[in-house]
Amino acid sequence: MEKEEARLAWALVLPAVGAILLVALFPLVWTAWESVHLHNLQMPWLGRPFVGLANYIEALRDPRFWGALGHTAFFAVTSVGLELVLGLWLALAMNRAFRGRGLVRAAILIPWAIPTVVSALLWRFLFEGQSGVVNAVLVRLGVLREPLVWFIEANTAWVPVILSDVWKTTPFVALLLLAGLQNIDASLYEAARIDGASAWRQFRFVTLPLLKPAILVALIFRTLDAFRVFDLIYALTGGGPGSSTEPIALYTFNALLQNLRFGYGSALSVIVFGITFGLALVYIKLIGAELTGARR
Amino acid sequence: MSPRKLSILLLLLLIGCGGPQHGGPVTVTLPTSMLGAEAVVLRQQLARFMAEHPGIRVVQRETPDAADQKHQLYVQWLNAGASEPDILQLDVIWTAEFAAAGWILPLDRFRPDTAAFFPTTIAANRWRDTLFAIPWFVDVGMLYWRTDLAPAAPTSFVELARDAIAARRRHGLRYGLVWQGARYEGLVTTFLEYLGGFGGRILDRGRVVVNSPEGLKALMEMRKQIYEEGVVPTSALTWHEEECRFAFQNGEAAFMRNWPYAYGLMQDRASSKVAGKFAVAPMPASPEGTRTAALGGSQLAINRNTAHPDAAWAVVDYLTQPAQMLERARVVGQFPPRATLYDDPKLAAVLPIPPAEARLVIEHAVPRPVTPVYTQLSEILQIYLHRALTGQSPPAAALAAAQVEMQRLLNSVGLGTGDAVAGR
Repeated sequence: MEKEEARLAWALVLPAVGAILLVALFPLVWTAWESVHLHNLQMPWLGRPFVGLANYIEALRDPRFWGALGHTAFFAVTSVGLELVLGLWLALAMNRAFRGRGLVRAAILIPWAIPTVVSALLWRFLFEGQSGVVNAVLVRLGVLREPLVWFIEANTAWVPVILSDVWKTTPFVALLLLAGLQNIDASLYEAARIDGASAWRQFRFVTLPLLKPAILVALIFRTLDAFRVFDLIYALTGGGPGSSTEPIALYTFNALLQNLRFGYGSALSVIVFGITFGLALVYIKLIGAELTGARR
Repeated sequence: MSPRKLSILLLLLLIGCGGPQHGGPVTVTLPTSMLGAEAVVLRQQLARFMAEHPGIRVVQRETPDAADQKHQLYVQWLNAGASEPDILQLDVIWTAEFAAAGWILPLDRFRPDTAAFFPTTIAANRWRDTLFAIPWFVDVGMLYWRTDLAPAAPTSFVELARDAIAARRRHGLRYGLVWQGARYEGLVTTFLEYLGGFGGRILDRGRVVVNSPEGLKALMEMRKQIYEEGVVPTSALTWHEEECRFAFQNGEAAFMRNWPYAYGLMQDRASSKVAGKFAVAPMPASPEGTRTAALGGSQLAINRNTAHPDAAWAVVDYLTQPAQMLERARVVGQFPPRATLYDDPKLAAVLPIPPAEARLVIEHAVPRPVTPVYTQLSEILQIYLHRALTGQSPPAAALAAAQVEMQRLLNSVGLGTGDAVAGR
């Protein structure tokens, strides 16, 4: 009887398992398989020999790879950090009862709804040229003495990149945190007030600890997203000047789809997968501990 | 030959033999853009061709206009051994790649009249002494100059700087010279023209030679124009073709380096402030080099796996005849690669540019390195040039590093004959 039920259960999940194998596992295994071969579409005369870890070694020896990895990490930490702080601030504001709250909550999502490429081009337009809007405003305010060509220096080219990502994804973070805030029991604040806790202490000892799971979820989503950043930078700086804003996904795209080096590009993809997978594992561990800890 | 390739070939042979015997016309496919005046001309030309050749039907297949996407699509088709499209429209920098990969047919056996073409346009389409594609139209990098600001085009970098500075001072122009300096293929074509102007080259057969005294002088000249003379604006380091054209047609720049397409557009008085007030010339050079124009343009080639090589050749041959080239010159302003046409008064009547001016530039044209790995070499060069021009790295160090990386790439695919070490 139990055996039969088990068999039925297996039969029922089989389509789902099959679909996962087909769309998730198969491409992964295939990419890993490609990554240990020399496979260059542009040079069919080289054949497709097995080369072991040569592609990985090439990547690890390539300063451009390390540069791209560094840029990706910098982008992830800076943009996610800013988004978290701003998102929390917005969430706290939206959590108060005020007139037109529904409207504000809907309006705040507008940047999130704009396609990334469109918002990237928008920010490019704002920052571009010596007569761009940002230059004009900053010069008039006296912040800049003369217009700046933002995209020809590594430091300044990051400004529109980070700003545009923060502008676009802060609302998403804010909504996630808002949901977390609304789960906090109002009686806790009441008790804190009766005990004479200041607003800051309420925030520090009631809001933050109870918001931790929501913060972790937002962190996971955003870090993994930020680590795979592609379209934003592709449209905004193209990875320039030189290659000083090139993220790992853009470098991989170049190897795979511009230079059609399938073997090397696959090795890069596997490395990116490994890193994001590792990050996800760490976060899941943290969240798991957090959730079980909260239940105890 | 692998069994798979053999079976594909046999299959193609069968189809090839079977097709015409059933009485219907043979069909050849040609991937084209379906947009704009260019598509209309091509459709008309193909209709005329089919009327003259009832045995051949030409089917157009829509492909993306963006060069990168088109390239990617072609490579996927050809790698899979597809017999279609029968005819391919190649950018000049792809011919060597496709020829070395064995994807396109050698064309010498069709005895094309190559003597009528500009020698450079033919040389760019040869790989290991065999012709693989027929030039369809020519693109060349040209110096646009304002006839109302100077009596003649500058022929040296010194003259160019002098005229540009004078134009800015006397007429309050915002920019002296504008060119494509963003990190993309356009930057390499701009650099190639400076490099030729100092007598340097990028590649000498299997040896990368860009890290030479000439290469360094060329790069230093570009930097000098930006940072010392103020002739070229720093924002040009983010510019592609269109940003340059807008600056020039708004009357903000004394000189512009750009392709022929801009000429016709800037003669439109409704949108251009410089209509009728500019001319073109080859880019300037230093005394030790020659004035140089980067060669671009489109070529027609035939898929090696085509089932109908003769029919495909008939189409290629027809499209590259003088009559068709003249028509393209009239409708889309493209330069014909046939040198003989430039003496034909008919060309003068249809081309927006005086043919003598165009011819002078084309005669200074130099192909980019003819090698199967050009796109990868170019990517390396783009990054290092851009680093040097944006001040992230000293020019000498950038060129040395670029040379090492490019040579290493060539060596790794068995095409290099130089050492991948720093130093000249």
